[in-house]
Amino acid sequence: MNMVQALNSAMDLKMSEDDSVIILGEDVGKDGGVFRVTDGLQAKYGTQRVIDTPLSELGIVGMAIGMAVNGLKPIPEIQFQDFIYTAMDQIINQMAKIRYRSGGDYTVPLVLRTPVGGGIKGGLYHSQSGEAYFAHTAGLTVVSPSNPYDAKGLLISAIESPDPVIFLEPKRLYRAQKAEIPEDKYTVPLRKANIIKQGSDVTVITYGSMVPTVMSAASKSKYDVEVIDLRTIVPMDRDTILNSVKKTGRVVIVHEAPRTLGVGAEISAMISERAIEYLYAPILRVTGPDTPFPYRLEDYYLPNEARISAAIEKVMTFR
Amino acid sequence: MTEVLDQDEKNLMVRGFTSMVLGRYFDKKIITAQRQGLVGFYTPMMGQEATQAGAAMALSRNDSVYGYYRDVTMLIYLGHPIEKIFDQIMGNAEDSSKGRQMPSHYSAKEINFMSVPSPVATNLPLAVGAAYAKKYRKEDGIVITTFGDGGTSTPDFHAAMNFAAVFDLPVVFLCENNGWAISLPVERQTKAEIYKKAEAYGMKGVYVDGNDFIKTYRTVKDAVEYARSGNPILVEARSYRMGPHSTSDDPSKYRKNEVQENSDQDPLIIAEKLMISGGYLNQAEIEKIKEESKKMIDEKFEERLKIPAPAPETMFDDVYSEMTWAIEEERGDILRR
Repeated sequence: MNMVQALNSAMDLKMSEDDSVIILGEDVGKDGGVFRVTDGLQAKYGTQRVIDTPLSELGIVGMAIGMAVNGLKPIPEIQFQDFIYTAMDQIINQMAKIRYRSGGDYTVPLVLRTPVGGGIKGGLYHSQSGEAYFAHTAGLTVVSPSNPYDAKGLLISAIESPDPVIFLEPKRLYRAQKAEIPEDKYTVPLRKANIIKQGSDVTVITYGSMVPTVMSAASKSKYDVEVIDLRTIVPMDRDTILNSVKKTGRVVIVHEAPRTLGVGAEISAMISERAIEYLYAPILRVTGPDTPFPYRLEDYYLPNEARISAAIEKVMTFR
Repeated sequence: MTEVLDQDEKNLMVRGFTSMVLGRYFDKKIITAQRQGLVGFYTPMMGQEATQAGAAMALSRNDSVYGYYRDVTMLIYLGHPIEKIFDQIMGNAEDSSKGRQMPSHYSAKEINFMSVPSPVATNLPLAVGAAYAKKYRKEDGIVITTFGDGGTSTPDFHAAMNFAAVFDLPVVFLCENNGWAISLPVERQTKAEIYKKAEAYGMKGVYVDGNDFIKTYRTVKDAVEYARSGNPILVEARSYRMGPHSTSDDPSKYRKNEVQENSDQDPLIIAEKLMISGGYLNQAEIEKIKEESKKMIDEKFEERLKIPAPAPETMFDDVYSEMTWAIEEERGDILRR
């Protein structure tokens, strides 16, 4: 399965076992979504459970919150994360805060799925990586898978979570990899990072769209690189990160989103506060630049193997 | 048979009227208490008693309310204990939202009254989702959502009206048009008449004199029945915000108070006349209700004032279903003596 099929399989399995699971969004029904992630589900589960909505991100998210508060498990899809901002009031002021502000009387178990990232010639408004906006809001769980296996297992865990989950799907990876993954239900736990490559010289921390690029750079490196795939961005898996850093003493953080106040800044601060005495070199970040996402020049925007390898070299040779 | 019906009707009217009286005294009590420094803030409801009592009288047990921060009379009518409303205003240890929200942001799950956010009209899209859940589960009951005239300018109003109509959902949109959104008069809020906006969504819209609780009751009752069969509807109930927007607001900067308390336009005075002319209560009975209501409000206020603030450690609960290490660590840092 590729990632699109894996995500589809996750929703299919959950919908077949739980009639409270409902999909809603623009073009998710007949059309199966612009990336075909919900393909075939309306034909199987009907128009009441896979709902084609009017064109309003705020309406989709607000309606989904109301459903979740009333016992359904909605999976709203926002067609591109770049279009989510009219729904940010609902996400930040309602979705994230209802459990807290009602003293736990009302909860919002939903999964907001949305494709993120560039590399598909999408320009400014079909390429953004906005995870930091969500990660900065108490109450939200922010997840981003990097491969088909994780995509399916994480999405099932997210649907089963009692908390609202922002599920960021790296659209560049939708069809980039095929993997043998189980047809049946399985879960990949939230809040747990994955050490996808063991190593002893340097820790590279990444997630989502950058994982394959990092793995490629790591496999070619002359150093013994450990690679951590966060899987869940917040709440972050502190222990996996710190254990690795204490072993290697060197850290590179890689993400596609802009550098300033990005997720890498938080990881770097977290490590500095707790393990600075283990570090042999400054923590480096390889990220997208602090510019909007360009159309023709996107290859310059996206972190590549050369930049990642250079950062690894720099922390390895720091004196 | 006729006599039994009349008794039911009388009980309904008396309960509606009593909730208005309680609402008014509640309002006055909190405004005074705020000036005395006993509570931090309040958004007075005065002037909207009739709209809220009339609407609440039209609801049944299985209906849900997605209300807003002035709906005190509605909460009282629906049976949310006065004690709990005081607890919310005081943010004390007994408050259902554990003292986390500013005063006037009620949450009353036991009467299906959804927790109130501050951003205006943002509960409207949630009401649509709630109605979808009811319809999907084939449950009885409609969803009523309330908002002020200012709320009709928001994108949430637009999205919610449109979605409710497209999906044929049992939602009553009740605009409590009190004429003012803080300092902006409704004439500057919108060029159109509010109830007519429904037409743009392919929906029915009706207008009612929100100062007359019996007319409001009958109009909202019809709207609720209409909504029950999957027809969303917009009701505009016109009243007048007799108080300031909030206790932090000074309306003399932007308006003369056109409606004075105890004048002919005061919805409580109108209600008293309706109770007498309808034969539901006589003057002596009205005076007794007022007296008892005032006494009850005064006593319960003093009683609830004794309840302490929530324990500091509760501040860190209910962010997630399971506390994160970060919040646990922050709790330790902040509470360490």
